[in-house]
This record gives sequence, structure tokens and C-alpha cells, in this order.
Amino acid sequence: MKSRPMLTLDDCRKISAAAEEEAKKNHWNVAIAILDDGGHLLHLIRMDGASPFNARTAIAKGRTAAESRRSSLVWEERIKAGRTSMLGMPDITPVQGGLPIVIEGAYIGGVGVSGVQSHEDEQIAAAGIKALG
Amino acid sequence: MKGKPFALAAGLIFAAAAFAQVPPDPNNPNEAVPEKMVYTPYGETIKLDMAKKAAAAALAESEKRGWAMCIAVVGPTGDLIYFEKMDDCQWASVSIAQHKARTAAKYRRPTVVFERLLAKGGFFAYLPTLDDITMSRGGNPIVVNGKIIGAIGVSGGTGSQDDTISQAGAKAAQ
Repeated sequence: MKSRPMLTLDDCRKISAAAEEEAKKNHWNVAIAILDDGGHLLHLIRMDGASPFNARTAIAKGRTAAESRRSSLVWEERIKAGRTSMLGMPDITPVQGGLPIVIEGAYIGGVGVSGVQSHEDEQIAAAGIKALG
Repeated sequence: MKGKPFALAAGLIFAAAAFAQVPPDPNNPNEAVPEKMVYTPYGETIKLDMAKKAAAAALAESEKRGWAMCIAVVGPTGDLIYFEKMDDCQWASVSIAQHKARTAAKYRRPTVVFERLLAKGGFFAYLPTLDDITMSRGGNPIVVNGKIIGAIGVSGGTGSQDDTISQAGAKAAQ
């Protein structure tokens, strides 16, 4: 039987706190969502000034990365390159700002951020994942 | 041309039904018309710091009792501000906790109010047809200075366990 790592609430807290720190440092108001590899929500914060739309988008980007095991930017670029049929893939939000969480070679979840420019959203998500070590 | 008289007749029948008075049912408590509306007004949306404080109190109470819960905090409109799933909490509760919080905020009352009314039976059987509502206890408004600034929803245990944790969280945000 194969065993693989799994995100705990403590892990989610570490990711969320580091991501929030990165956002605060830059004076960005965002929503940060953490999901497991099945796309189930484990943790979410919506900072003051971020909108309900940001919360929903953060979840959608995080789910895209978690379930497809690649960053949501990969989807954005594929579609931009002309592969418009990819828009029909289930539960995919092809907008930068969602990153998969990879630990010991295993895809265990995703982080999605929404609120600022897409590359800045991704920067926040990356800072969060980095805190896992 | 052939179908026209029938269409006209059908139209008259439906119109008659639409304008008919529905006779009152003296046994139905919903037919009383109260003089006043009793409600707690909405205030400004809860800040993230206070949402975290409410969730932390709820989590501490869950840990103390050894219960695994999902905890959601929403603003007055029911939109998500904070969420966390404790390890080993059942998966169904991820969405139920959010739904309870949303119901408590959007209907500005604890979800236990609906649960109790529904349990009264027949005349309250319409309640589940209302929009976006869950009637399981565990959702409570967060009230500060007499105003609803958000709500907290908890799911994972029995309704009574959920409500105990939810109330602990709502109280911490005072």
C-alpha cells in the first residue's frame, strides 16, 4: 500500500500566515484559500477590503491547481496559445494565482489567491507554500 | 384556428383561479399579522481579526472537548471571510458549516430557530422551500453593539455539539 503526506490544519495555518504576511508586506488585500488534492476547502481567509468575489475566485484558482496538479497559469497560457477547447475542462479557472502544493514528490493540495494582479496573487501563494519547508 | 376556443377557455379558468380569495385557516398560526417587525439590524462587516478571534475561541472549545469540527465565519451578506477544517472532521461539514453561517447571517437569526419551528410540524413545513437555507442548529449571528456584523457556522458533531461550539465563537467576538 502506498502512503502519502496529507495537509493538517497546522500546515494550513503555516501556509495561510506566511501568505497573509506577504500580502500585508505589500499592502495588498486578498483572499487566500487552501484546498486538499481533491479540491476540498481546508482553510480560507479574506482580508479586510477584499471582496466576496475574491474569496470565490481564490477557491476556484486553488481548486484548479490542486485537482489538475499544475499551476492555474499553465491553463491560462495553454488557452492563450489557442487551445480554447481547454475552457471546457471541468472546474478549471484558467487564471494565474493558483499553485499546487508538492511535498516529497506528491501533489497534496493547492493554494489560490485573488485580490491583486494575477502575478502578484501567485507571488502570495508561492510565499505561503514556501513556509511548509 | 381550430384550437382557439379551447385556448380562450383555458385562459379564463386560470384567470379565475388566480383572482379567487383563499379562505383563511383559523388553525394556521402564520395567518396572524403582527403589528411590528422584530429584528436585529445589520452593522458593518466583521473585520478579519475579529473573525479569527471568534474562530480561535470556537477551535479552543472544540479541542478542549476533543471534537473535530469545521468552522466558518461570514459577513452580514453570508459571504465567506474565514474558514478552517480541523483534522478528522467529516467532509460533509466543509459545506454545511458555511451554509449554517450563511443562513444565520442572511436570515439574521440562529439556525436553531428554524429547526424548532420545523419540528412543530405542518404549518411550518413550507420553511425548507425558502431560499438558501439550512435548518440544522450550529449557525449563530455575531452581534456587536446591537448590530449583526456577521455569523459563525459550525458542523462536525451532533447539532447540539455544533451549536455549543458556534455559540462559544459568537460570544468571543463581543
